[in-house]
Amino acid sequence: MRRETTLVRQADYWAGRFQAMGGPCEILIETRAHRKAAATLELAAAEAWRIEEKFSRYLSDSVVQCINRSSGVPVHLDSETARLLSYAHECHALSNGMFDITSGVLRRAWKFDGSDRIPEQCVIDDLLPLIGWEKTALADDSFTLPAGMEIDLGGIGKEYAVDRAASLIEQTMPQSFVVNFGGDLLVSGTRESGKPWRIGLDDPNLSTEDGLGMIQLAGGGLATSGDARRFLLKDGVRYSHILNPKTGWPVVKAPRSVTVVADSCIEAGVLSTVAMLKGPDAETFLESEGVRYWSVR
Amino acid sequence: MQLGSVFRSRLRAATCTLLAVTAGGAMAADFGTKWTFEGASLLYSENKRTSVFEPLLIVKRDYGDGQTLQGKFVFDAMTGASPTGAAATNKVQTFTTPSGNRYQAQTGEVPLRHFQDQRASADINWTKPLSRKLRTELGGHASAETDYASLGATATMIGDFNQKLTTLTIGGGANDDRITPVGGVPVGLTRVNSLDHEETTLSKNIVDGMIGVTQILTPRWLAQLNYSYAAEHGYLTEPYKVISVVDPITGETASGDYVYEKRPDQRARQSVMFSSAYHLKYDVLHISYRRYWDDWGIASNTIDLKYDLQLSDKVYLEPHWRSYHQTAADFYVYGLPRGAPLPEFASADYRFGDLTTQTIGAKIGIQTGEYQQFTARIEYMRQSGNEHPDEAVGVQRDFSLFPPIDILIMQVGYSIGLP
Repeated sequence: MRRETTLVRQADYWAGRFQAMGGPCEILIETRAHRKAAATLELAAAEAWRIEEKFSRYLSDSVVQCINRSSGVPVHLDSETARLLSYAHECHALSNGMFDITSGVLRRAWKFDGSDRIPEQCVIDDLLPLIGWEKTALADDSFTLPAGMEIDLGGIGKEYAVDRAASLIEQTMPQSFVVNFGGDLLVSGTRESGKPWRIGLDDPNLSTEDGLGMIQLAGGGLATSGDARRFLLKDGVRYSHILNPKTGWPVVKAPRSVTVVADSCIEAGVLSTVAMLKGPDAETFLESEGVRYWSVR
Repeated sequence: MQLGSVFRSRLRAATCTLLAVTAGGAMAADFGTKWTFEGASLLYSENKRTSVFEPLLIVKRDYGDGQTLQGKFVFDAMTGASPTGAAATNKVQTFTTPSGNRYQAQTGEVPLRHFQDQRASADINWTKPLSRKLRTELGGHASAETDYASLGATATMIGDFNQKLTTLTIGGGANDDRITPVGGVPVGLTRVNSLDHEETTLSKNIVDGMIGVTQILTPRWLAQLNYSYAAEHGYLTEPYKVISVVDPITGETASGDYVYEKRPDQRARQSVMFSSAYHLKYDVLHISYRRYWDDWGIASNTIDLKYDLQLSDKVYLEPHWRSYHQTAADFYVYGLPRGAPLPEFASADYRFGDLTTQTIGAKIGIQTGEYQQFTARIEYMRQSGNEHPDEAVGVQRDFSLFPPIDILIMQVGYSIGLP
């Protein structure tokens, strides 16, 4: 894994960059002091790498792999993992079972490469018994995952890392900053100019206020679900990569992507994911929750 | 906007739990220290009165699974003088201590008795999680000084609810104290005399209980509400305190005309406390208010403010302000009029009078290593009461019956953690 950071001086802030969690990560720090900016960048990068190592489903010694290989034997949890799984449990309950961190096994059937390769129903039918958070058992400090099932914290891990890194930075400096891990981000504090940060959203189809894909954010977390480039197209029907854990099929009539602003990045992430899972009712749901959002259809 | 949506509020609560607990918490739990040693020395000094030098040692063992064991060992060396209870008057007053020494108070001076004592105490505290949401704390206490020994035990249950946003605490304790007054047990409200009293050991028992709720209101704001009740019974009187018998017209005291104080042998104490900690960007503001009352007629209000100012990554400064006021006990007197019938109970101990204490101070903490911290605290307190009460008669009006007391507290400490 590349463990490098770069720091570049901008007009009135420092921009630090590094790679983590499969994408570019960026920290914008409103300070003139190079040392302060460098220390902040290292703090954020270390936290991102720590969380990636601990919860990645690709790394063989991660907690997630340890759980996925447990074959139905209870796994002892450290307090941080226990809290994250409790959070996933609450999201599952809140979304009536639609937000499910065990639904990742469906990736074996679905490859969203822009082609028209729709899997056979029998392949999906074989996978459905391996999905369902309700089949797992989360106890005080242990977790039991039935053999063959897998968990994937991809839906909340990156957003959690953003909030964690931001909370660590907040403890060391009062200046305004942005933590942006691959488009999921958090803005903290007011800039000296009093102006909001301008954030570029990586989606050419998004119609923002300025028409340039830039939005203004004075504070709070922002997360995007959906990917305009990941889909299947067959017989004129567009299949989004958001999968319904109950049917094993893509959610129909879901927006291509949904971007939500909330108090924290992880809250924004859950809101945007649950909105996508609501399919045609995504916007109605977000309206009723009273959040600032952008959707692309 | 429907801010009241169940989905949103439950999601916010869950997020709050995840992030509020995690901020700092996960690091401490995962990379914490196994042993912590903290040594400190405190100097408490009342202007021209009592001084206490107090070295202490705290040893804590963290087992990493939420289980901790802590021992606290304190030694107090007390010297100086404390008010006897006798009032200032227009003559030189001469007293004899229980051990036979004589001492004098000059005209207009509040009579003080010189003393010297040592006290040693040990506290053991054990915390153990019973489940992810429930933990228990058990404690034991023992202390001893020349004429006083105390043994106590406490048990507390702490439960987390509502996604760990709410914490309920229920606890109770019992204390069994033994008092062996030097020179024997005086009979309350009888004339102070130099006759030897019978050397006896008396007991005092305390049973107390508390219930509290702590609520995380936002990831930055924590509030707490506690109620506590304590019932004391046994020998609650201070054997060395006396009361002047004064002439009801002139306010003068006749030489040697004092009686021993006498307090009820039961006391029920109650208090309610609200406290709040608000995390600003990186400072913390602590505010608390406590209302206390008991069936001796004492009621008090305490307001306490602290501000944790994070000066840098390694240094914090904590200014502190406290204001305390209590009403006098029903049986508090400045003196007893000669010839009048004796009340059932009476005490001239200034700590039962109408009392105001103002405290200002500051504490500084300096991180000197990854697991090492130096702390220093300085506090100035001023205790004042009613210097010229309406009850004062004759010459008593010429003197301050409650001269303000200035107190200085200094403490330095150093803690070392071993991973």
